[in-house]
Amino acid sequence: MNAIEIKGLTKNFGQKQALKGLDMTVPVGAIYGFIGENGSGKSTTEKIICGLLHQTDGSVKIFGREQNDADVRAKMGVLIEAPGCFPNYSVWNNMMLQAANLGITNAEQEVVKVLKMVRMEGAASNKYKNCSLGMKQRIGIAMALLGNPRLLVLDEPINGLDADGMRIMREVLCDLAENYGVTIIISSHILGELEKIATHYGIVRGGKMMAEMTAHELEDSCRTYIALQTKDMNRAKMLLGCKYSRVEEDEARYIRVYDEAAPEEIVSYLYKEGIVVSELSTDKIGLEEYYIDLMKEGRQ
Amino acid sequence: MAKELHFESPSFGERIKGMLGVDFYRLFHTPLFYIFLAIAAVIPAMILGTSGMENPQTGEVAEKLYTNVWHIIAAEKPLYVVSSIAEYANMNMVFIFGGIMVSIFIGHDYKSGYVKQLFTTHAKKQDYMISKSLTCAFAMACMCITYLLGSVAAGLLTGLSMEVNAGSLIIAILSKTIMSLGWASLYTFLNIIFRRYFGISIVSSFFFGTGILIIGVAAILGNSSLLNVFLYGSSVYACLSANVVTLIVCIICSVAWAVIYNVAGTHILNKSDVY
Repeated sequence: MNAIEIKGLTKNFGQKQALKGLDMTVPVGAIYGFIGENGSGKSTTEKIICGLLHQTDGSVKIFGREQNDADVRAKMGVLIEAPGCFPNYSVWNNMMLQAANLGITNAEQEVVKVLKMVRMEGAASNKYKNCSLGMKQRIGIAMALLGNPRLLVLDEPINGLDADGMRIMREVLCDLAENYGVTIIISSHILGELEKIATHYGIVRGGKMMAEMTAHELEDSCRTYIALQTKDMNRAKMLLGCKYSRVEEDEARYIRVYDEAAPEEIVSYLYKEGIVVSELSTDKIGLEEYYIDLMKEGRQ
Repeated sequence: MAKELHFESPSFGERIKGMLGVDFYRLFHTPLFYIFLAIAAVIPAMILGTSGMENPQTGEVAEKLYTNVWHIIAAEKPLYVVSSIAEYANMNMVFIFGGIMVSIFIGHDYKSGYVKQLFTTHAKKQDYMISKSLTCAFAMACMCITYLLGSVAAGLLTGLSMEVNAGSLIIAILSKTIMSLGWASLYTFLNIIFRRYFGISIVSSFFFGTGILIIGVAAILGNSSLLNVFLYGSSVYACLSANVVTLIVCIICSVAWAVIYNVAGTHILNKSDVY
């Protein structure tokens, strides 16, 4: 059984079609990185999964049941955009109110537990409005963790977090998925961070799912490249560009050759042309570059 | 957290208990509630205190609106067509201010994003309607009590006659207080319709709270007991000549409208996007 199965999901806002037959499958226990440009339909999909929006067409099954089933929603923890807290109440009171909504009997213990998980126990007495953006995001995650959810839907949860906050979040989410079998959908624009935790990916564009893959499949499909430096970069780039189909210069001023070529072949070719390679390495493109490539292909 | 997946959500009783707990906590912890309680107490005192006062510049004495202190609680007779402001200005004013209070209270749910937090749990839309209606009904009933206290205090100070049929007065006060449930449900319903437009919510609550529609109809058709089936009509019906029938009419009317508005509001929430 999959945690989430979406088929042919469409959503219209008046004349505007936000989702155009989106399909999505999230296995149980996965950390699903949900990626896409602004306005691609990520938040709309997540809001439909959570029951905040009604789909125009298509089906959404969560653990094999309809997404509006109250029993299913009792198993979900959600952070969409920002946590819905009362600004004049303390963090503790906001958490206790949510615990009451969830019908948690040992509310105080539960709130202490989740605040500790996100390292926010020291800020419990702070007024919510006085918390920083990063603190608010952590409070939102803590709220989502109340009631032992089996599915977490997190929309841009690491926005505004500092390096330490991101590390904490990474540890918490990995722990939940690995040790408790919690399924996590996480959308984010910080792809480097997502790459560290996601086990599955879904790339959405223009309201449609462009690709779904596991982290292993992504690694396999990420192209290898040869990066090199010479004294005469411009000439080397021009010569390599004549011989190979895709040659680019990266931000660190390395020439990248993406074609399947042996390093020694490149070195000897340039040497024959009177250019000495001073530095050479082989590497793979990361999620961010893969995503950018995919988006470029999609536009073409 | 266990790995096995069991689907069981709280019963209706458990859900509504949690939601009422949150709403009452919020009600008692918001200055808004106490401000409106104070307004409800001050308004009758101000009306009684200022009516019949001498204008210091002209020396003219304004005509007294009331000769009996209880007229600020309820009219002598159920007059749907308002001929003077005195017939209009009684405990029914609580339902106008109450409407504004409900709009602010519910509007805050949407402004803060709390509904997003709430409706992504097992909470049902029907629970939300019931919980808001009951909480706001309680708040309006409290306003009726402070209105009564303000009226009595001002009446004693101004020395107006306090002669009244005690039984009818008690029934009138009780009936109007009971009407809080119907009014609160109406306002909750209006705020659900206009949930994305806070200003329109307040204006619509004020519009319905003043009973403009019923007053307009009554002006054309004349006084009719048929108007008692409406919230404004039955609130007016609870007057100083009220009897047990008045109380029964008000209970039936308040409960019936509460059910209708709760069902309609639940339907709207179920069929539309929440956030």
